[in-house]
Amino acid sequence: MTRRFLALLIALALISPIFGVWLANLINYHEPLDVAADLINQAANRTILNDTRYQMNWTPFIDYTVPGLPDWAGYIVSAFIGLAIYLVLYMALVGRRGRVKRTS
Amino acid sequence: MLAYGYYAYRHSELQKYMELVLSLAAAIFVAQMLNWPIPGGTSLHMVGGALAAILVGPFNAFFVLLLVLLVQALVFHDGGITTLGANVINMGVIAPLVGYAAYKALRPRVGVFWSAFVAGWASITVAGTAAGLEIGLSPWFPYGWTISVPAMAGWHALLGLVEGAITGFVVLYLSKRAPEYVRL
Repeated sequence: MTRRFLALLIALALISPIFGVWLANLINYHEPLDVAADLINQAANRTILNDTRYQMNWTPFIDYTVPGLPDWAGYIVSAFIGLAIYLVLYMALVGRRGRVKRTS
Repeated sequence: MLAYGYYAYRHSELQKYMELVLSLAAAIFVAQMLNWPIPGGTSLHMVGGALAAILVGPFNAFFVLLLVLLVQALVFHDGGITTLGANVINMGVIAPLVGYAAYKALRPRVGVFWSAFVAGWASITVAGTAAGLEIGLSPWFPYGWTISVPAMAGWHALLGLVEGAITGFVVLYLSKRAPEYVRL
């Protein structure tokens, strides 16, 4: 990974809440399949499809949030958590060998 | 899916492409966090299947998307364990294969940008149609696939234009500035 590429990743992570949180709240975003499930339940007038995501949740970072942090900050931290996972994998699996040499 | 994973692994040259596979996984992961909301309550974000396929080939791309989807599901509960299989088939198998085929077929005839544009568009449209088919065939979904497939295909054909544009610009930029990263 070059420095410029890492800088790009960090920049994307920093601006991500503008899209993932702020704009999403602005238009009252819901997952399309959640909306479909609600419509199905409404049409049938009883609960056919039940949202069990929160009962069977296994992670503190559900939906890119971090407990105790406002949504926008949690979103940025989530982006860095994700990037950190790939970076650790990268260091473990690529390390010093097998790099693609830049020729230009 | 496991069989495809094994087949892809045998054809992937993962060792050689590990650096690019992990870099792309990281880039596509953050790119997928940039949802562009659409009035009406939905949103679109990049998938990157065609882009990954053009840069590292469809079998390495499978592992790129697999890594992205695994982190999304396991760490952020974005898509469950039970839907992981369907997500991997749509975005990790179908999208890269369609994107790769489209790019390869078009590249001798048209320029880099438009080949990548159509590859991105086709990958989203076909993957979205597949998702519609899977939802429609699910016994939990009371409307059949005759409803879900046209709805998903239509929307994704529109959303695919954005994927196509991003794929086109990224591939064009890389092929000019760093052609060693573009496999096709």
